[in-house]
Amino acid sequence: MIGTLIYGLTIGGILYIISIGLSLTFGTMRIVNFAHAFVYALGAYLLITAFRKMGLSFLAAAGFGVLAVLPVAYVIEAYVIRRLYGESLDYAIIATYAVLLIGVDLIKWVWGASPISLNDPIGKDVEILGVSLPVYRLVIITLAFVIYGGLYLFFRKTIVGKIVIAGLDDKDAVRSLGIDVDRYFSIVFLLGSGLAALGGVLYAPITSVHPYMGFQILLLCFAVVIVGGMGSLHGTFLSAFALGMVISLTGRFWGPAAETMVFVVMAVVLIFKPIDV
Amino acid sequence: MKIPWKKYDCLLIVAGFLLLLPFLKIQRTTDFIIFCVFVLSYDLLYGYMGRLSFGPMLFLGAGAYAVTLFSEHLSPNPFLALSFAVVAAAAVGALIGPIIVRTTGAAFALINLAFNQIGHFLVLIAFAKYTGGEDGMSAHFSKVGFFDVQDRTMIFVFSLFCLVLAFYLLKRLTSSPFGILLRTIKENETRARFLGYDTFLYKWGAFVISGGLAGFAGALSIMNYGYVTPSFIDPHRNVEVIFAVLIGGAGNLYGAIIGGVAYMVVSNYLATYIARWEMFLGIGLLLLVFRFRTGVWGAVTGLLASRRGEAETR
Repeated sequence: MIGTLIYGLTIGGILYIISIGLSLTFGTMRIVNFAHAFVYALGAYLLITAFRKMGLSFLAAAGFGVLAVLPVAYVIEAYVIRRLYGESLDYAIIATYAVLLIGVDLIKWVWGASPISLNDPIGKDVEILGVSLPVYRLVIITLAFVIYGGLYLFFRKTIVGKIVIAGLDDKDAVRSLGIDVDRYFSIVFLLGSGLAALGGVLYAPITSVHPYMGFQILLLCFAVVIVGGMGSLHGTFLSAFALGMVISLTGRFWGPAAETMVFVVMAVVLIFKPIDV
Repeated sequence: MKIPWKKYDCLLIVAGFLLLLPFLKIQRTTDFIIFCVFVLSYDLLYGYMGRLSFGPMLFLGAGAYAVTLFSEHLSPNPFLALSFAVVAAAAVGALIGPIIVRTTGAAFALINLAFNQIGHFLVLIAFAKYTGGEDGMSAHFSKVGFFDVQDRTMIFVFSLFCLVLAFYLLKRLTSSPFGILLRTIKENETRARFLGYDTFLYKWGAFVISGGLAGFAGALSIMNYGYVTPSFIDPHRNVEVIFAVLIGGAGNLYGAIIGGVAYMVVSNYLATYIARWEMFLGIGLLLLVFRFRTGVWGAVTGLLASRRGEAETR
C-alpha cells in the first residue's frame, strides 16, 4: 500500500512539474501548447546524450538537459508562439501540434526511434514501515514540493512574478501601466519549458525514453490542467497529485487501465464543473 | 460569391473521382472517397460550428467496430450493418455530446481527445475479447440482391453515391436555418443565445450528426477493406483529418472534398518518397496556419473574385 502511495506521489510530482508550464502558457497567453511535449522529450534525450556520450555525472547531465532545452524553447516561442498571440485558439493548437510533429521527427532523426532505458541514478532503497522504497522516487516527490514552494515565492515575492500574476488576471490593465507584458510572458514560457525538460529528465530513469514519450504524458498533463483549472497554480498542484494517485491506485488493480482512468475522472469532473475557456 | 458551375457540383464530384480512376487502383480510389466523407463530417464541426475537435477518430472507430461486430454477431446484411454503425456512432455522440459541447476552444479539443483515448483503450484492451485487440478482426458481409461488398466496382459506386448523397444533404443542412445558426455560433455564440436560441441543442445536434457521418465513413472503410484494427480509432491519426480540412479550406464543403483528395494524394504517394513524413506534415501545417489560412478553396475563390473585380473595373 505504501508502495502504491509513493508511486502515486512520484507520478503526481512528475505530472505537476510538467503541467505548470502548460497551465501558465494557457493562463498567460491563451495558448494550448502541444510543443510542450517536444520540450519534455528533448530534455530526456539530452540527458541521455550528456550522461552516456559525454560522460557527465547524472546531476550534471540533468542540468545540461534542462539548460540546453532553453534555447530551443526560445526559438519555438519567438517564431511560433509569439505569432499566435491574440489568434483564435484553433490555430494555436494546430501550429503547436505541428511543432510537436516536427520535433518528434527530429528526435527520431538524431537519436533513432528505438526506446532507450536508463538505470536509477541513485540505485539505493530505503525502508519505511517495512516497505523498501527507491530513494530516487522520494527525491522526485521532495523536488516537486520544493518547486511548488519556489514558484509560490517567485509569484508572490518577486516583481517579475507579481507582474505575471497580474497579467494572468487582466492583461490589458497591466499593459496600460506601461509594462511590456508579453516579455514577461516569454520569461514564464521559458520557465515552464525548463520545468518540462526537468520533468523529462526526472522521469527518464523510471520509464523508457522514446520519441513518442511526449504524446503520452501530454494527454495526462492536459487532464491535470483541465481538472485543476487552466492557469491556476494551486489547482494544478492539487490535481496533479490527485490524478497521480488515480493512476497508481488503478494500476494496482488493473495495469492497462491506469492512464485511461485519468480521462474518466476528467470527464466526471467536467460534468460537475463546466469550464469556459 | 457566385460560381457558375455550382448547379452541377454533384456531377462534378462524380466526374472528378471517375477521372482519378485511371491513375489509381479502384480500392484506393474508394478509400479516397470514404476519406472525403470523413472530412465532410469533420468540416461540419470545425468549419461550420467552429469547434476544433482532436478526437474525430473516435466516431470513425465507433462506426468501424459497430459494423464489424454487427455483421459478426447479428446479421451479415451490409445495409443493416451500415445503418447500425451510423446509429451506434451517433449514439456515442449523443451520449458524450452533452459533456463535450458545453466547452469551447481548448477544452473542447482536449476533451474530444480524451474520449478518443478512452475509446482506443476500450477496443484495444478492455474489450479485446470481442474486438480482437491489437490484431483486429475481419468482417464478412452477405450478398443482398445484386449488391456484393466483395465486388470492388460495386463498393466504389456505392461509396461514390454515398459521398454525393452526404455532400448534398450537408449542402442543404448548412444552408438551412439550422446551418446558419451553427455559423452564428461560430461567429458569436453569446449573441445567438441572446436572440433566444438554445445553442446547446444546436451544438449537440451538430455533434451527433457529425459523429454519425464519421461513423458512416468508418463503416464504409470496413466494407472496402474487410477488416478492422485499432488504427481506425487511433488518437494519433486525428491530425490527418484536421490537415485535410485545412488544405481544402475550413467551412466549405467543396474545400473539404478538395482537401480530402489532396491529403490522400500527398499521404499515399509523397510519403513513399519523403523519408521524414511527420516533419513534412508539421511544416505543411505551419505553412497552412501562417500563410494559407483559407486553403485551396479560399485561394481559388479569391482568385476568381479578383479576376471578376478586374473585369468590372475595366
